[in-house]
Amino acid sequence: MSAKTYKIVVLGDFGVGKTSLIRRYVLDEFSEVYRATIGVHLYKHTDALAATALPVNLVVWDIEGAPLPSEQTRRYIVGASGALIVGDATRADPFSAMWEAADMFEDVLPGRPLCLALNKSDLGTEAHPETVNRMTRRYDCPAFGTSALTGDGVTPAFRALARSILSLGL
Amino acid sequence: MGLDPSLLLDTFGVMAFRLDDDLRVREAQGTQGPPFMGEDIRETMPVLYGLEDALAAPDVDLAMPFIQTGRDNDEPMALRVRRDPATGDLWVLCRDVSEESAIHRELVQKHNSLSLAQAALVKARDAAQEADRTKTAFLANVSHELRTPLHVIIGGAAILSRTGAKRLTPDEVPGYADDIHESGVLLLQLVDDLIDLSRSETGDLTIYEEPCDLRAIVSGIVSLSRELPEARGTRIAATLPDGPVPMLADARRIKQVLLNLLSNAVKAVAGRTDAAILFEIDPDGPVLTVSDNGPGMTAAELEIARKPFGQPRAAVRAKGAGLGLAIVHRLVDLHGGRVEIETAPNEGLTARIVFAAPSRPPVPTG
Ligand SMILES: Nc1nc2c(ncn2[C@@H]2O[C@H](COP(=O)(O)OP(=O)(O)OP(=O)(O)O)[C@@H](O)[C@H]2O)c(=O)[nH]1
Ligand SMILES: [Mg+2]
Repeated sequence: MSAKTYKIVVLGDFGVGKTSLIRRYVLDEFSEVYRATIGVHLYKHTDALAATALPVNLVVWDIEGAPLPSEQTRRYIVGASGALIVGDATRADPFSAMWEAADMFEDVLPGRPLCLALNKSDLGTEAHPETVNRMTRRYDCPAFGTSALTGDGVTPAFRALARSILSLGL
Repeated sequence: MGLDPSLLLDTFGVMAFRLDDDLRVREAQGTQGPPFMGEDIRETMPVLYGLEDALAAPDVDLAMPFIQTGRDNDEPMALRVRRDPATGDLWVLCRDVSEESAIHRELVQKHNSLSLAQAALVKARDAAQEADRTKTAFLANVSHELRTPLHVIIGGAAILSRTGAKRLTPDEVPGYADDIHESGVLLLQLVDDLIDLSRSETGDLTIYEEPCDLRAIVSGIVSLSRELPEARGTRIAATLPDGPVPMLADARRIKQVLLNLLSNAVKAVAGRTDAAILFEIDPDGPVLTVSDNGPGMTAAELEIARKPFGQPRAAVRAKGAGLGLAIVHRLVDLHGGRVEIETAPNEGLTARIVFAAPSRPPVPTG
């Protein structure tokens, strides 16, 4: 019998680095060129969360970005076991789009785990610890500073999400 | 009317799969490729993972435009899942939407790229304006800092050169001469700092690393600090390892870093009855720590203090130039280390200099 495969959605504004994070995690590659994601792109990935644990099968949904998630986004979220909510930490306001996405996810799938990624940490980003703390408390989720360019924090963020999913037995 | 359904499917580039309750393919139309008969459709269409509950619903009707299933697959499909109302059979219908998607892509790509470029421009403009403001404030501060000792020098010189009845008595002279000397030293220090700062800005600040002993440097500074008149009344202690702490560094620059930290600490603890400054070396790293029990700073004040001439408080500001911390940061950077500052109001301030770890083996001498 094959193990269960979990669906993870990656949500956030356009250009924040959703595709880049996924491709760093799954393929260990990075491109400077911005190519907007249209609709949804799927990535299958099997990851060993710990040396001893059984590998977990994931289907990562790379979803077209927008400052406000659309009705289409809502349909894409259905059936997900968890969500990675990505913001671009170098922006003046990385958070509005993250709140929007997290709220929509929670609305569609209450109680399913989230993980926050503040991406592009390599660009010497301004820290917004208070807002990050507020979000992690509000959604009871972890937050990571990530860089798809250097790889910092990327795998830990995805694994933290996968662990929450497994621990909830979703 | 005998139009073959497969002709219709072919014409519109549609594929159709009838599934059983285990999501295995029982019938396929308009395709020769996978998924094949009997296969779990989720393996070729992973988009259906997670949707098992939705698919089991009697009135399932899922629609997803622009699904690209493979990691490098650039042929988007639109997906539709429905039940045949007559038979109750579950059908997955896929349509090639490359053309629509190409138009959509171009629009989205243009829109997003434009917005990102615009945001980047706004950011660059704000940064430039901020830099401009900082420069102006910096100039104003530099002028202020230069004026104070210059006034002392000019005034002192005028008094020294008085003639006639206002002429100074011989025992009044040394006091004014000392003031002039002290102000001159302060000015020189300030100008040296300015030169270092501007060199570091242009990338011309260089260091000459040689094997040296961090312990010896620190204990030298500690002895010197106990002689400083400003530090009178301050307990200056040092926790140093027994043996030497060899490292590659520009000893003169490390002394400069220490003197700057010392000078900040001395100003911070001034006036306290229990004023104390502690130097520590942890040979692992190595890490050099200078702590004081002064009033400390809030995070916002620290942010200001890191900037050249950024004195967080008027009280501190009055006491001299604020280039120290900016120069400390740059000199430590040049050594491949980093400066960590820990402080909070009423908690004192601890500056940790973490040198590039592990300490590079010193080049053997002799
Ligand atoms: N410096 C840096 N650049 C990054 C990082 N992550 C992404 N980028 C760049 O940011 C741009 C956008 O990245 P994408 O991954 O395409 O963003 P996205 O969130 O998938 O965007 P949409 O698909 O439009 O929603 C690209 O030019 C990337 O090279 C990062 O961690 N650091
Ligand atoms: Mg993308």
